[in-house]
Amino acid sequence: MAHAAHAKVLPADLSAPPFVNGWRARALMIAILFTVVAVVLAFLGGADGVEHVYRAWVVGLMLTFGFCCGGLTLLMVQYVSGGKWGLLLRRPLEAMSRTLPLIFGYWVVSALFAKHLYAWAKYSSGAEALKAGLTEGEAHAIEWKHPMLNLSTYWIVALICFAIWGFFAWQMNTLSLKREADSTVNTPQWIKRMENLSGAGILIYSLTMTAAVIYWVMSMDVTWYSSVYGLLFLVGQGYSVLALSLITVLSLSKAEPFKTILRGTEQYDLGKFTFAFVMLNMYLAFAQFLIIWSGNLPEEIPWYLNRINGHWGIICTLDFMFHWLIPFSLLLSKDIKRNKKRLIKVCQWMIFAKAFDLFWLVEPNFKDAARNLHFSWGILEYAAVPVAMTALWMAYYFTNLTTRPLVATNDPHLAEILEPEHAHA
Amino acid sequence: MIAEFETPSDLVRAAQAAYNDGWRRMDCYTPYPVEEAAEAIGFHKDRVSLLTLTGGLMGLCAMFSLETWISTLAYPLNIGGRPTYSWPAFIVPAYEWTILFAGLSAAFGMIALNGLPSLYHPLFNAPNFRTGATDDKFFLCLEALDPKYDASGTRAYLESMGPNSVVEVEY
Repeated sequence: MAHAAHAKVLPADLSAPPFVNGWRARALMIAILFTVVAVVLAFLGGADGVEHVYRAWVVGLMLTFGFCCGGLTLLMVQYVSGGKWGLLLRRPLEAMSRTLPLIFGYWVVSALFAKHLYAWAKYSSGAEALKAGLTEGEAHAIEWKHPMLNLSTYWIVALICFAIWGFFAWQMNTLSLKREADSTVNTPQWIKRMENLSGAGILIYSLTMTAAVIYWVMSMDVTWYSSVYGLLFLVGQGYSVLALSLITVLSLSKAEPFKTILRGTEQYDLGKFTFAFVMLNMYLAFAQFLIIWSGNLPEEIPWYLNRINGHWGIICTLDFMFHWLIPFSLLLSKDIKRNKKRLIKVCQWMIFAKAFDLFWLVEPNFKDAARNLHFSWGILEYAAVPVAMTALWMAYYFTNLTTRPLVATNDPHLAEILEPEHAHA
Repeated sequence: MIAEFETPSDLVRAAQAAYNDGWRRMDCYTPYPVEEAAEAIGFHKDRVSLLTLTGGLMGLCAMFSLETWISTLAYPLNIGGRPTYSWPAFIVPAYEWTILFAGLSAAFGMIALNGLPSLYHPLFNAPNFRTGATDDKFFLCLEALDPKYDASGTRAYLESMGPNSVVEVEY
């Protein structure tokens, strides 16, 4: 074949370029800086400030949990679907999935102050809740949902979930190394094996993560429920993980080995994939709104009224623009998807938008904030705690990136990705 | 004058060379889209994406205004006590029309910009073009309208690029 003549050659050294250590140092500095800011704000806000630290902690937890387990799931999706884009993302996604111990730590902290976050944890019975001044509806929900919403079940469900996620993260990571060490003759069997494990993993993860987000976020409002909630978070994880993966891959492409293996075609494909998630994310969020708006039922609609009335409408509108309109309009353009610098900017914006969306989901669950958007020192914690937690997580992620070669070589797609772009349809 | 190449890489190299040598009235024919070949002959932007966007926005506005007109002026109905102008209910059909119009504009816009339907194209007079261009061969055509064209010189020029064959197309 004539085009084999100008196929590229993979560099000998496949380890992460030294500037990844620089990223880690920067991430750690940001983590320390924002921890200090969070502490100062907590002192300025007093008791209210501390309450907001707990709430903002959940935002940070959901954001980093999304990167970690969403990364694991995208890795499994990639094994099931195949495709050259997967070869680029495999090592970064593995590095994300290996941060699970930190997520577990974050979760344990949130579980320790569950009584501040969840009315069902604070009051063990409906009568107790009524005495404390909660509405009849809330008291009824606490009583009715008690078999599910109580602290022991909360701990048991989360521990089972973490055990399952840990198992899959461990399997995907160790098997991938074993596959690399094995001879290429066995690659077809390995592909089959990863595929089978991933297929089951995606299904099990969708179910377990639904349980987790119901406990961790949805139950902050004890009366409300939505059947699309798990899926909404699942797609949201795809949204933020793809943005982070693109940032990683594009930034790594300044040096070898990604300089060689990142082609315009795959960059463009990943941009389109991200665009699809931007669309699906909004599609589900709007579907939930439309169904609840049409039903207009007293047990469902207050959740939206809490998030629209009392100036929350401003945040809701901004959320719509930040989360969907801006990334959608930008990613529509072919030129932006092909331009590395601009694509990185859009992806960074998407991660900010995800955090903004989580703020809108979490804060109005609480009595002092529902239908009443107001300034307090505490509310600024949402700009401090999640940043510190995410920065610490990033440092861990960058460490994981440096521990393995960045390119999986035992893969049939490798030869294709080294060919010039016009060689295949 | 048309040259047949065995691989897309050969075609791209030949097209780049011809463009650098000053050829402009030229075209590439391939069995599947080869974007680098289009870039090589100086073809950067197509207007399909702009047409699609315009079509999509037109669909969005058309359906949203239709619904607004029906619900507020033409046939106002009280549905669950909601205001007659209930925009959330209008979004879904407006979204569907955006997709429909964008899709149709993309398809028909692409066909129109390609100059289709066209009943006659001289290239089909070339004996190898009919089979090769839809199968596994890649063609570079240097047209007689280009000022650099002269029958014998152009043939020699194309033959120097290592093609399978060079054919003069009658038209």
